[in-house]
Amino acid sequence: MARTQSAPVAGRETESPRPATAGARPPKTRRGLRKRVELTALLAPAIVLFIGFVIVPMVFAAWYSLYNWSGFGPLNDFIGVQNYTGVLTGPVFHQALLHNVIIAVLSLVIQLPVSIGLALLLNRRVRGRTFLRLAVFAPFVLSEATAAVMWYELLQPGGPLDALLKAVGLGGLVHYWLASTSLVLYSVFVVATWKYIGFGIVLLLAGLQGIPPELREAAAIDGATPWQVTRAITLPLLGPTIRIWIFLSVIGSLQLFDLVWIMTLGGPANASSTMLTYQYTNGVQRTQFGYGATVSVVLFVISLVFALAYQRFALRRDTAGALTRAVL
Amino acid sequence: MRGSRKPAIAATAVAAALTIAACSSSSSSTSSTSASSSSGSSAKVTLTWWNNGNTQPLLGVWQSVVAAFHAAHPNVTISMNPIQSDLFTTKMPIALKSDNPPDIFQQWGGGQEATQYTSGKLANLSSLASGWISELGEAAAGWQVNGEQYGIPYDQHVVGFWYRKDLFAKAGITSPPTTIAQLESDDAKLKAAGITPISLGGGSRWPDAFYWEYFAVRECSQSVLQSAIKAVNMSAPCFTQATKDLTAFMATNPFQGGFNATQAQTGAGSSAGLLANGKAAMELQGDWETSVVPALTSDKNIISQLGWFPFPQVPGGAGAPTAVLAGGDGFSCTTGASEPACAEFLQYIDSTPVQEELVQKAGVGLPANSAAESVLTNPALQAAAKAHDTAAYQAEYFDIAFPTDQGQALDTALANFFAGKGSNETIINSVSSSSGH
Amino acid sequence: MSAATARLGRRSPRRDVIRERRTWLSLPASYLIILIVLAIAIAPMLYMIVGGFSTTAQLNADPNALPHPWVWSNYAAIATSSIFWQALANSVVVAVVATGLALTLGAMAAFALSRYTFRGREALYVLFVVGLLFPLNTAALPLFLLLQQIGLNDNLFGVALPEAAFALPVTIVILRPFMRAIPGELEDAAIVDGASRIRFFLRILLPLSRPALITVGILAFVTSWNAYLLPLVVFSSQDHYTLPLAVANFQSTYTQDTARVYAFTAVSMIPALAIFVFAQRKLVGGLVGAIRG
Repeated sequence: MARTQSAPVAGRETESPRPATAGARPPKTRRGLRKRVELTALLAPAIVLFIGFVIVPMVFAAWYSLYNWSGFGPLNDFIGVQNYTGVLTGPVFHQALLHNVIIAVLSLVIQLPVSIGLALLLNRRVRGRTFLRLAVFAPFVLSEATAAVMWYELLQPGGPLDALLKAVGLGGLVHYWLASTSLVLYSVFVVATWKYIGFGIVLLLAGLQGIPPELREAAAIDGATPWQVTRAITLPLLGPTIRIWIFLSVIGSLQLFDLVWIMTLGGPANASSTMLTYQYTNGVQRTQFGYGATVSVVLFVISLVFALAYQRFALRRDTAGALTRAVL
Repeated sequence: MRGSRKPAIAATAVAAALTIAACSSSSSSTSSTSASSSSGSSAKVTLTWWNNGNTQPLLGVWQSVVAAFHAAHPNVTISMNPIQSDLFTTKMPIALKSDNPPDIFQQWGGGQEATQYTSGKLANLSSLASGWISELGEAAAGWQVNGEQYGIPYDQHVVGFWYRKDLFAKAGITSPPTTIAQLESDDAKLKAAGITPISLGGGSRWPDAFYWEYFAVRECSQSVLQSAIKAVNMSAPCFTQATKDLTAFMATNPFQGGFNATQAQTGAGSSAGLLANGKAAMELQGDWETSVVPALTSDKNIISQLGWFPFPQVPGGAGAPTAVLAGGDGFSCTTGASEPACAEFLQYIDSTPVQEELVQKAGVGLPANSAAESVLTNPALQAAAKAHDTAAYQAEYFDIAFPTDQGQALDTALANFFAGKGSNETIINSVSSSSGH
Repeated sequence: MSAATARLGRRSPRRDVIRERRTWLSLPASYLIILIVLAIAIAPMLYMIVGGFSTTAQLNADPNALPHPWVWSNYAAIATSSIFWQALANSVVVAVVATGLALTLGAMAAFALSRYTFRGREALYVLFVVGLLFPLNTAALPLFLLLQQIGLNDNLFGVALPEAAFALPVTIVILRPFMRAIPGELEDAAIVDGASRIRFFLRILLPLSRPALITVGILAFVTSWNAYLLPLVVFSSQDHYTLPLAVANFQSTYTQDTARVYAFTAVSMIPALAIFVFAQRKLVGGLVGAIRG
């Protein structure tokens, strides 16, 4: 069978036409069985591990949300959706949810362009590239707990950051970074950016590796300016990676906890609360385990809605694998 | 899920291999109590013990206690597992749900103990401790649930004002204040001398609570206070009056800037750190301050610089003038064959020699057994101990006295109030419904 | 192997020159920006490393000053502390097992999900994604009880296995589009040459997916290295503590030995950073020249 330029299709069919060789073509049932065996071998271990250690505890945790339970005695106070009413109608939870959304939006608006710019810069063959990548990535390697402790010290009134600002003559910018209810959320965002931007850059660097330099060179030879090359070729080809980044970043913003908790405990007065600090305060500290599980389920549903919508609208092109193939 | 056993067997085999390889032989995290029929002199017993002495000097003191007890009772071996204090919140509910919780574990009494009691795993020590519990006097009462002894304290705490004598002298204050009005005028003198009067760890929430609770203790009579705690209901007018007192006091701006984010004990910028380094003159804290402060400053003589005075009087308050806000640390035993040995061990910990060691070497604060108070040398601690012992009554800090849920809700409401987001209603109502979100 | 794959990794020097000359940001400007970014990224870490040379009392008395005198005791104490080395060993075992498992099982699953069609494929993908969306801390208690049931409590594998499981969603989410983007022609060519799909997977797809594999490997390793809650819940005895838990030993009920914490953390980062340096060198490569031919 002649090979034609295949149009972009979603995925590869196993039953793709094979060139007729001297031997007979294998029967379809045997190919189907083989495919099933291969699929089982490939998928079963991951599925077993995943269901056992992730799905099953999740289901149990969701089950607790239907009870009024302190986490100590037996599960015997079934209250149905009462926990959910409490969570969904509470203004404190709404405030926490809003904070999560603000952080997610800010990460898209600020972190994404910065990450892309830095990844493009670090992709160039500049001297000391390895060291630079290491330096930018190092904050990500630091554990959240210690990063939070460190920044807590740095942001103290009169602490190192304030001292630095005064030393360079920017003393007027000094504020109560963590004590001001209007600033604290943004201080947390800046620290989170500092911590996580390294991973975004590594991910984008991986994506950049997949872009053949011949494409860029061809366009450059054709007379495109470097910026045009970036805009028309690099960025679109980086699209799938960027979309992964966005997905992980939004999910990460929704689940922000350790960093905030250690730096501010979600305070002062809930000014930097997130859904998970809310859950910790009301679920764990107050030994309202069922209530805490409810918050987790609500957070899960919100994330799921986002994930499904995102999968359908944004990622569909990527799962079709269209771009790379059409170009060729 | 109780699924297929096959992965379990494989996993256990690998786990066992790795356990043998990776673990040192001395660790034994599961308690293997043999079925001992009576109070422990016959069969061998091993007890696992979770305490918060993960650093020196307390770690060393507990280790010597374990060794000494084993020497006296060779059939009892205690396997000690120190865990950092804050981690108990996460680990205890999980441990109490498991099949083999630790035989002895640390807890802080009051409503928190009552909440843990619902797990059904706390051992009733009333009969086992009846012979010696009276040595602890009043202290033991805070560790009962429904009149039965479910926990035993090993130290006690009292909350009062710690102050720097040098800064007081600099501001021209000759003696510590005894009324709120005097305190406020002293604050003014300190401010005039360029000193922050009081440091407050608002970021940690519970230091805020001390102020309001003390005002409540001054305003409310003992009976009103005790019934309010028992009923988990603060609608009595004296509590509202406490809020008014607090509001008036806060209006004098006695605290450092940005106090809402200051944590209590961690690092230079903490409220204890400010006191230690002379950046503030006073802090309302427990007697543990003497354990906290030395690590936060390079001044070797810091302890001798500190004095102590009780929370000042409030005019017209119905509370007894000498009442104090107090608490303590203690241990509970979990049900099982190890109970008798556990009770014996706790008795040993409360014996005078051990208590003295705890006070002198580990600096735990005030001993649960007041016979050991004689070894206190620091005058400030002696003053605190005296105030504690001669108090008309000791009110347990509310977040421990209330069940954990309500206690934490109160702390949060008070911290919000200090941050300017709250009112008397939010404070009073924080304990009324179990949600209060 | 076709001629296409044989050209992997080869670069003509002239192409680099062309590329360097025409970029939208001049070299000096690039360096300036990079230096600024470097300063922001590194300065707090330097603060921490230098803090390890101070004493806690000093840090508390004057946090803005350099240590005077510089003390080695914190770093020395760590180097000689058996707890540190034990925790380091534990962390390494757990992270290597978790990463290895996540990479192996995740790559296999991503391959199946990206290059096979079968009924329920998207639903299975969503199932994996679902694992990403549920916060770990609530699942900790049921997970603990499950581990107790199968006897993995207070055991390094009791942490490594769940960590691998929780790393699977991210691994698959990242690997799947990368694997999808490998052109179908390569697969067809391999099959023409007589290779099975599994051989294609092992010999062609995996090497071509190297950047993505390295990325998810780094992510899984670092996530495991810094994991705190799961080890806290699973381990009761200090012998099993991983590094993040061992830091808690420098914090007592009332105080924190900040200088020790800084020193300990600075040293704890070294293995993870070393892995990163080693791995990111391999990041270059991939599809260069692969589609020709």
